Amino acid sequence: MTIPLLSLIVFTPAVGAAALMFIRNDDVVRWMALGVTVLDFAFCIAMLGGLDTSTHEMQFTETRPWVPALGITYALGIDGISAPFVFLTALLGWICVLASWVAIDRKVKEFMVSLLAMQALMLGVFCALDLFLFYVFWEAMLIPMYLIIGVWGGDGRVYAAFKFFLYTLAGSLMFLIGVIVLYFHGGETFDIRTLMAQDLPFQIQSWLFFAFLIAFAVKVPMVPVHTWLPDAHVQAPTAGSIILAAVLLKMGAYGFLRFSLPMLPEATVHYSTLMQVLSAVAIVYGGLLALAQDDLKKLVAYSSISHMGLVTLGIFTLNLRGLEGGILQMFNHGVTTGALFLSVGLIYERTHTRSISDYGGLMKAAPVYTAFLALFALSSMALPGTNSFVGELLVLSGAFAANLAVGAAAVLGALLGAAYLLGMYRKVALGPVSIGLRFKIRDVNAREIAAILPLAVFVLWIGLYPKPFLEIIDASVKHLLAQVHGKGGAQ
Amino acid sequence: MTAAVLFQSTLASLPEIVVVTGACILLILGQLVRKGQQQFLVWASIAVVLIAALGTLMLAGEVRPAYSGMFIADRFAVFFKVVFYLVTVLTFLLSRKYAEIEGIGSSEYYVLLLLALSGMMIMASATDLLSIYVGLELMVLCTYVLTGFLRQQQRSNEAALKYVILGGVSTGIFLYGVSLIYGLTGTTQLDRMAAAVTGDPLDPGLLLAVVFIVAGLVFKVGAVPFHMWVPDVYEGAPTTITAFMSVGPKAAGFAVILRVFLNPLVAASNVWIIVAVIAAVTMALGSFVALVQDNFKRLLAYSSIAHAGFAMFGVAAGGADGVASVMLYLLIYAFMNLGIFGIVIMMRNGDFSGEVIEHYAGFAKSHRGLALLMLLYLFSLAGIPPTAGFFAKFYVLVALVERGFVMLAVIAVLLSAVAAYFYIRIVMVIYMREPEGAFDPALTPAVGATLAFTAAGTIGIGLFPAWFLRLAQHAAIGG
Repeated sequence: MTIPLLSLIVFTPAVGAAALMFIRNDDVVRWMALGVTVLDFAFCIAMLGGLDTSTHEMQFTETRPWVPALGITYALGIDGISAPFVFLTALLGWICVLASWVAIDRKVKEFMVSLLAMQALMLGVFCALDLFLFYVFWEAMLIPMYLIIGVWGGDGRVYAAFKFFLYTLAGSLMFLIGVIVLYFHGGETFDIRTLMAQDLPFQIQSWLFFAFLIAFAVKVPMVPVHTWLPDAHVQAPTAGSIILAAVLLKMGAYGFLRFSLPMLPEATVHYSTLMQVLSAVAIVYGGLLALAQDDLKKLVAYSSISHMGLVTLGIFTLNLRGLEGGILQMFNHGVTTGALFLSVGLIYERTHTRSISDYGGLMKAAPVYTAFLALFALSSMALPGTNSFVGELLVLSGAFAANLAVGAAAVLGALLGAAYLLGMYRKVALGPVSIGLRFKIRDVNAREIAAILPLAVFVLWIGLYPKPFLEIIDASVKHLLAQVHGKGGAQ
Repeated sequence: MTAAVLFQSTLASLPEIVVVTGACILLILGQLVRKGQQQFLVWASIAVVLIAALGTLMLAGEVRPAYSGMFIADRFAVFFKVVFYLVTVLTFLLSRKYAEIEGIGSSEYYVLLLLALSGMMIMASATDLLSIYVGLELMVLCTYVLTGFLRQQQRSNEAALKYVILGGVSTGIFLYGVSLIYGLTGTTQLDRMAAAVTGDPLDPGLLLAVVFIVAGLVFKVGAVPFHMWVPDVYEGAPTTITAFMSVGPKAAGFAVILRVFLNPLVAASNVWIIVAVIAAVTMALGSFVALVQDNFKRLLAYSSIAHAGFAMFGVAAGGADGVASVMLYLLIYAFMNLGIFGIVIMMRNGDFSGEVIEHYAGFAKSHRGLALLMLLYLFSLAGIPPTAGFFAKFYVLVALVERGFVMLAVIAVLLSAVAAYFYIRIVMVIYMREPEGAFDPALTPAVGATLAFTAAGTIGIGLFPAWFLRLAQHAAIGG
């Protein structure tokens, strides 16, 4: 009997969360949470080591009946598209624990339990091969995330938590109806692989496309359903922001890749221009809003909207470069924006202000920290040599091939990105040290470096040598394109 | 009636006979029990229910029609009876301490609950409009009295009076519908009604009769437009009785609704349109009005209206899956609703009424375990996976979509998103506020056992719904 590696990956944090409930000492809780997340990460490395990148087939599959009367199975499996996100989630798991080490000083146990539960559910979303199972994981995430924002967040946390919860719930419920409709049209099964092989009539595809769009667009978030994001980001504790930015936002895009494109190919092609335009609007609008922010977290939050617009643009170019760029950019955004939120969190712990105008001259006060900040800001604006450059270049070349005007808008977004990120860096890091902060700043310590360094490594690694990352997704993306454009693979 | 037929009929209705006999014996024994030994009554009542449950399960092997077509013991009835037993036993367990605190622990309290149980059981088994009526009246008469059991409190008396008057009117309407049916078809038996009508099923007289019967039954489950009594009665009644009424009699009402509406005659008169409209309006009213409630019991009253609306969608869907979805919904609702009521009942101690939501502020800080249970029940009521509440809603939606009612499914989920707000608002109060005083819940072993059991059901059915689903599906096909 083989080891059910994916179940192990998904349920290790869940078991850890359950075990944590019986521990009283806060320090033990912290170390145990770290131990569980590191162990989970080790399983993920083992999974990546065994991943066959030459095939698009689902790997490490497990299938067990769950509710046979309705054709629901407990089925897990990963391919080249989901594997990077399983890895990303596991990586950020222990980074989040480190980021909350001192930032969370009350109800530590409850926080770590929520964090681990969250991680289990996020991993479940990326591994699920059964639509019902996927939905259970997807929706159950609302509970721990609601608590993370609402209990440990900032002053406006309750409002932000409600807004997050209700927005996502309303979106997901339409998705649920779509899933059930798909179930009856796709031969009474929730199995994702079977459903991908169905050939649904165009009209059904269109309805389902929009039902799915509501859920995924809220999660991405796409303009105009993005308004929950700045609130949630600003109010959430650092670890919550990292999870939101790095993993949760990816789920919307992942939903498009896993369901909309392969299951509803005709509708996808038909509405791709609409999606491209919506993405372009998000890129420019998010960028403009980011330009006007004084709050560091809000700035990163709006930049997320802009960057996720780039991701959805890449996906809906429906050509090889665009799709690969979009998926790589999803991963990049997880690394870079996660790191930016972590950086903002670190400095906030020291100064208790997020207002850019309060800062200045950090470079003199905390040189190591500022170096990291510079790297992530440059990565976010896609400087050559950093990870986002590769992704953005692929997306842009795909976008220009698909639609000239949309490509031009995306380039404008990249320009805006340079403007607000460099502006932020100049005000925060350069110039004279601001008077109010003179004695508050100390540089990063070993724990903080341990949290931030791996992300910096990925920024440079993907930037300088993206080949191994692109190889993982390559076969699956090609197969996905063949599914979208019919068996001939014609464009 | 020969002796053999009589024996068969007695056998089929043995659980009902056990409960009624047990209630009568307890009524006498109750006079002999001294003050301070009242927990004997609780255990004796539970024993009666368990004996009846044993009888039900032993007789569940085959379908037994009885009393010349007025009564039937089939799997459909067994499923509902098991729900009733569950609800009643848990209510007894919750009542012990609460009755002591409120000073209502006389033997009549337990006897009336047992008699209400027997009424519900008759309703689940009745196959004739008249035996339905008998069961219905037996049940509601007991609940009228139980509602007014807090004799010293004005609002309890007011609630009881309101309930009696409105309940009486609705029963009258129901009986009028029955008389019209009898006039048109010459029978009150559900099976024979369809055969008796040879003409157009959309005959206006028949339609009128069906509408009257629908109105009478809808009152019992608290659906719009006959919901007015629910908030006042739920608020005024002793909380244990509120908990009981919100699940037991409601499930009994649905049992009758399913039996009557699945009748070919009623099904032919396009009654599902009425049911669908009732379902949508009920859910909308329950969900929106609950948003502004400050009183926990009132909020749960509107929440129960909203849940009745959701279950009504399953009735509108019809078919085997529709019926099974309603049954599963009621079973799951019994677990999660008794759970949350268990908490409210437990909190009634000393000066703490447990009825004002704001008073629960910061509850999670001092009582982690209990707060976690509340969280579980509330998210389950909101229908968030992996709790059972999600699967209940999911299956109703499946039944709706299967029959092509996609728009109804969309309405149902949008309204349940509204309803989610007031459940998570309570979670917010207990987790995200600072406590203003100390909490002293009356957590006796009996209450603890109830909470543990309901929590196990709420999470267990959510994670492993297969067995319960099959149970409901088998029972639905049997009915």
